[in-house]
Amino acid sequence: MRGSEVLINVLRDEGVNVVFGYPGGAMLPLYDDLRCADVRHILVRHEQCAAHMADGFARVLKRPGVCMATSGAGATNLVTGIATAFLDSSPVIALTGQVPTGIIGNDAFQEADIFSLMIPITKHNFRIMNSATLSNDLRSAFSIAMTGRYGPVQVDLPRDILTCDVSSPIEGRKIPTNGTREDLTELPQAVQLLESAERPLILVGGGAVWSGCGPNIIQLAEMIASPVATTLMGKSAVSEDHPLVLGMVGMHGRRVANYALEECDVLLAIGTRFSDRMIGEPASCRTKVIHIDIDTGELGKNVRPTVALGGDAGRVIRTIISTIRSKKGGAWTERMSLLKKECACNLDLPDNPIKPQKVIYELSKHLPDDAIVTTEVGQCQMFAAHYFEATGKRQFITPGGLGTMGFGLPAAIGAKVAAPDRCVVDVAGDGSLLMVCQEMATAVEEDIPVFICLLNNGRLGMIRQLQNQFYGKRLFAEDLGSSPDFVKLAEAFGVRSARAKDPKDLESVIEEGITSDRPFLADVWIDREEEVLPMTMRAESGTRVIAGKCAWKGVC
Amino acid sequence: MEVISMIVNDEFGVMQRVMGEFTRKKINVETIVVGKCEIVGKARIVLSVKERKQAEQAVERLGRLQDVVQVEIVDETRHEAYALVANSFGKARLIGSLEEVGSLIDTTKPDRFVKTVNAL
Ligand SMILES: Cc1ncc(C[n+]2csc(CCOP(=O)(O)OP(=O)(O)O)c2C)c(N)n1
Ligand SMILES: [Mg+2]
Repeated sequence: MRGSEVLINVLRDEGVNVVFGYPGGAMLPLYDDLRCADVRHILVRHEQCAAHMADGFARVLKRPGVCMATSGAGATNLVTGIATAFLDSSPVIALTGQVPTGIIGNDAFQEADIFSLMIPITKHNFRIMNSATLSNDLRSAFSIAMTGRYGPVQVDLPRDILTCDVSSPIEGRKIPTNGTREDLTELPQAVQLLESAERPLILVGGGAVWSGCGPNIIQLAEMIASPVATTLMGKSAVSEDHPLVLGMVGMHGRRVANYALEECDVLLAIGTRFSDRMIGEPASCRTKVIHIDIDTGELGKNVRPTVALGGDAGRVIRTIISTIRSKKGGAWTERMSLLKKECACNLDLPDNPIKPQKVIYELSKHLPDDAIVTTEVGQCQMFAAHYFEATGKRQFITPGGLGTMGFGLPAAIGAKVAAPDRCVVDVAGDGSLLMVCQEMATAVEEDIPVFICLLNNGRLGMIRQLQNQFYGKRLFAEDLGSSPDFVKLAEAFGVRSARAKDPKDLESVIEEGITSDRPFLADVWIDREEEVLPMTMRAESGTRVIAGKCAWKGVC
Repeated sequence: MEVISMIVNDEFGVMQRVMGEFTRKKINVETIVVGKCEIVGKARIVLSVKERKQAEQAVERLGRLQDVVQVEIVDETRHEAYALVANSFGKARLIGSLEEVGSLIDTTKPDRFVKTVNAL
């Protein structure tokens, strides 16, 4: 059996029925066999997007997404996508072509040392130097990606490994080691702290999304009458219409959630790495922290916990539930639900030009209960994160760790491939979308009906906002002008499109996007001056809030 | 001085993976010894860093690497210092505790030397 056939067999055994890729010389032996294999190959238009698609796919199904690229430039184009998956703990398998083993290191045509380039941004990677280990290493790649804290794994495939005959494969899979030791020795202290807490807060991070333990968290929250906040990556782990759920914390989070973070006496942090955009300066966190993480390396990395529990979020939460005593809510719970109501402002804004908040409002109102929202990066992302109502089974997918502009469209395509029956929307910014707009061709050719909801402000809005707020309004390199005409651009790709300039057109354009059975772009011209506020900066010396129009009075 | 000892898969790229974690955490490696060890297919890496906190950070990160089989901070009683020294008369080997080797170098002032720490 040829190496390429061995590879296809492993893909089949691992349940892979779709790959996102782009061919090149070094990969042609594989493509020759892929042609008649039982695997759908989605031809992307840029390799970076193959990685984002595999990532979006993985985030929806919680199993590996596979992308492939040829040697050299093809492989280096994957780097941004793999780094994005790494920071957000997404199990992406990257298969890269490589020059034949005999000439590796000779600066051969289309040779890049992608093995070295990938080391710091993958959980592990392989360069297959002996065809006998091919099958085994590939299987190990899948198990490493999915063991403990998920993450991307790259496999470098020299051309001769794909073409040569694999007669006697070496078995004996690498056992994944993950820095994950389930460690529940401090569980009694955690339970005791939670039971005696006067002002508990449960903080839900991305780990809870991967673990799929939202219902367990809600059960625990109800048992101990604790409000629940989420991080950016934890958004949609729990339904935001639950009375105990306060919404997102962090720099662009909700006032009520940040307030709860400040005021709580015990914080149960689940699957979060206390990133700087969430907690601000770690020293600003003065409460007692119970930290649960599957990656024990996260425990104490940024914030020193009072109690540390290592293990899968769902398993740990269920164990806590089985031993903890229920209790009734008191003044704290009541106050929080009151403040939550105060924090909910009216987003049904009639303004002309259209307010971005109004666009998100329409999406919350019209999207189905199981819709998937992906985002690009910038104001568009933060408007969606702050205002979108992730209720019911809705999923919110964002490149939180790396902040990768150009993630949303390909991730939406990957998500739609993973869940063809669900409505998938990319909340896009004009700057971000232009970085990956070529993938509209992929969506059209492969018949993947995603809805791009473009918050078009003709600007790098977030850059402008930061220059306005922190650089004395010295605006520079943030104006994108009026090019391109996104409706024409979409139409050139064969994507249906409509423009909304007037608030009265907005609802119908959004409905059209949601119901479209073909790729659709809504070019919504939004108020160019609108900023994403409030902004909350937590520091050791105290918290500073730029409130903008936010009228929240909760703190007094 | 804190000494970290680990057993790793003896494969190409493993040093790059290990050193990458020190780069990521902006930790300077003071000394390093690598060699074959009693387990077939594995190698032992013994390296030192200045501070306890750095050593702890590094151990957390190294524990996540697939090619690191075992990693620990080694206590002082198990440290061993070596130096190879040279001057115009020839070269000599120094072995002993960190202080011993250090003070020998200080008093003899060799023209050239290389000093490292090992541990078992
Ligand atoms: C690949 C990449 N380059 C640069 C940045 C820095 N950056 C963050 S937000 C932003 C502006 C995004 O503009 P747009 O997509 O139009 O969104 P808006 O803020 O206008 O809603 C930039 C340049 C980034 N996050 N990613
Ligand atoms: Mg913009």
